[in-house]
Amino acid sequence: MDKTKRNFLKGAAAAVLGPTSVGPAGWASAGERPRGSDSNRWAMVVDLRKCIGCQACTVACGMENAVPLGKFRTIVSNYEVELQDQVRSVVLPRLCNHCENPPCVPVCPVGATYQRNDGIVVVDNERCVGCGYCVQACPYDARFINPETQAADKCTFCVHRVEAGLLPACVETCVGGARIFGDLKDPDSTVSRLVAELPTKGLRPEMKTRPQVYYVGLDERFQSKVEGEPTLWRKEAIHGEFAQ
Amino acid sequence: MNGEIVELINVAHDVAWLPWGVQYFFLIGLSYAAFFLTLPAFVFRRREWDGLAHVALVVALSCGIVAPIALVADLHQPSRFYNFYLHVTPASWMSWGSFFLPVYVLCLMAYAWLIYRPGLAAQAGGRSGMMARIARVLALGGRAAPLAVRLVGLATAIAALLVALYTGVEMAVVATRALWHSPFMPLLFITTAFAGAAGLSLLLGRLLGAEASTDARLARVVAACSGLTLWLAAAWLLAGRFGWSVSGAVALRLASEYHPLLFTLLWLGVGTLVPLLLARRLPLLAGALALAGSWWLRWSMFIDGQRIPKTGAGFFPYELPPGAEGMAGLVGTLGLWVLLLLAITSFLPWRGDPPRIGR
Repeated sequence: MDKTKRNFLKGAAAAVLGPTSVGPAGWASAGERPRGSDSNRWAMVVDLRKCIGCQACTVACGMENAVPLGKFRTIVSNYEVELQDQVRSVVLPRLCNHCENPPCVPVCPVGATYQRNDGIVVVDNERCVGCGYCVQACPYDARFINPETQAADKCTFCVHRVEAGLLPACVETCVGGARIFGDLKDPDSTVSRLVAELPTKGLRPEMKTRPQVYYVGLDERFQSKVEGEPTLWRKEAIHGEFAQ
Repeated sequence: MNGEIVELINVAHDVAWLPWGVQYFFLIGLSYAAFFLTLPAFVFRRREWDGLAHVALVVALSCGIVAPIALVADLHQPSRFYNFYLHVTPASWMSWGSFFLPVYVLCLMAYAWLIYRPGLAAQAGGRSGMMARIARVLALGGRAAPLAVRLVGLATAIAALLVALYTGVEMAVVATRALWHSPFMPLLFITTAFAGAAGLSLLLGRLLGAEASTDARLARVVAACSGLTLWLAAAWLLAGRFGWSVSGAVALRLASEYHPLLFTLLWLGVGTLVPLLLARRLPLLAGALALAGSWWLRWSMFIDGQRIPKTGAGFFPYELPPGAEGMAGLVGTLGLWVLLLLAITSFLPWRGDPPRIGR
C-alpha cells in the first residue's frame, strides 16, 4: 500500500472512531507512546504571595481538560488561620506534582501510568484497568477515577498544550501570575531562576517523592497533612443543615 | 484537632477501592485460611481432623471461586483485565497478585477434585441418568490418589501463602496511606482470616449436619486467632501511642476519633474480644461474630482508610451507594457465594469418601 493511501485510511479511521480518549490525560495504546524530550524538565513554581484564591485555574483546567463535574485536576485549597489574634486567609493551589520519584508509577500493575522523558507523569487511559492502586499511592490526593473514562485521571501539566508551545491552562489564566511554568533544564527560564533565587518548598517532603511543583511562601503547617478543623466534611454540612 | 486552622475549601475524594474490593479481601482470606484447615486431614493424614477438613474445603472452594469475580468487578474497567497479562509489571505487588491468584484457585480446584474423586465414583455407582454420567466422567475412574492429594495440597499451600502475602503487602507498601503502611497489616489480615474461616466452618458444619466433634476444634481456632488478633491490635495501637509507628498512631485516631464505632466497638469488641470469650460456651455465636469481625476489619481498613485525607483536614464522608459501586457489590457476592455453596453441597460429594466418613 502506498503512503498516500495509508494516510488516507488512517485519517478516515480517525474520523470514524473520533478521539481516542476523553481527556488529554490519556494516550492511544496502539503504537509508540509519546515520551517527550529528555532535553526538557517541565516544572511549576507557585508563588503563594501572588495567589488570590480566585479558582480561575480550577475552572480553566476543568474546561480545557473536560474534567467531569465534581472532579478536579487542580484546586485551590482555602484555609483560615489564626495568627497573633488575627484571622488570615491561606490559599494553596494543589495539583499533580509530577514527582521526580513518582510513587504512582511503580504500583501500576499494567504500566498504564508512566513518566515521560521530560518528567511529566501521564496515564494511558486506554490501557488503564481502573484498579485505583495509583490513586492510593499518590501522596497528594491528586489522582481520581474519572467517572466518564472509568480510568485513572490527573493533571498532565496540559501536555497537549505544552507540546504545541502553549502554557498549561491554569498558568495561562492565573490573574495574579502566581503559577509559573517552564523548563528546569533551561537555566535562563523563569522557573529555573525562581527556584535558584527564592526559598521554595515542596509538599509532603517526608514522602521523598521530589515533587516538581515548587511553592514560594508556603507555611510549614500546610506542607504535609493539614491538621485543622474541617468545615465541609461535617455531617451537618453534607446534609445541608450546617448553619452559617 | 488544631483549632487555629479552619479548612474552608478542599475536595472530598471518593473511594477508589470499592466494596467489591472489601469482599475480595474478605473471601480470599476465608478461602486460604479454610484451605490451611484442610491440610492436617488431607495432607498430613490426621484422621481426627477429617470432619473439620471436609467442611473447611467447602468454605475454601466456594469463597475461593467467588473472590476473583469480586476482584475483577472492583476494577473500573473489568473488561480490560487481560492487560494484567499483556503488560506485566514486576514492580507492582498487584501485578504479582494477578499470577498468584489464578494459580491458587486452579490448584485449589485440582486439590478438591482429587479429594472428591472417590466420592464422585461412588455417587455415579451403577446408576444411569445425566447427573450420574457427569459424576462418572468427573471421577475419572475414582481411585483414591493420596500421593497426588499430598503433592497438589503442598502446591496449593505455597500458592495460598503467596496470596496471603500479597494481599497484605499490597496494602502495607502504600507509604502514603499511613494507616496501611505497617507490618501489622498483613499479620492482622491473616489472623482474622483464620478466625473468620473457622467461624464460617462452624456455622456451615452445623447447617449441613457435619460431625459434631468438629465444633470444639473449630472453636479453639476461633479463640486462638481472636486472641492473637487482640495481641497484634494492642501492639499496633500501643506502638502508635508511644510514637513508634505512624500507622499505629493513625489507627489510634481511627479507633478514637474518626470511626470508633466500627473500629473499636464492632471490630475489636464484638468481632474479636467477644468471640474469644464465648468460643468455649457458645461456639456458634463466637464463630458468627468472628466471621463478622473479619469483615469489619477489612471494611474499616479499606473504606475508612480511604476516607483519611492525605493532605487536607478531617475525614471524608462516605455513604454506601445502592448501585454497582456499593450495595450491589455486597449483595451480589453474597448471592453468588450462596449459589455456589448450594451447587457444591448438592452436586459434589463434599462429605468425602462414604466408607471413611460414615455417610
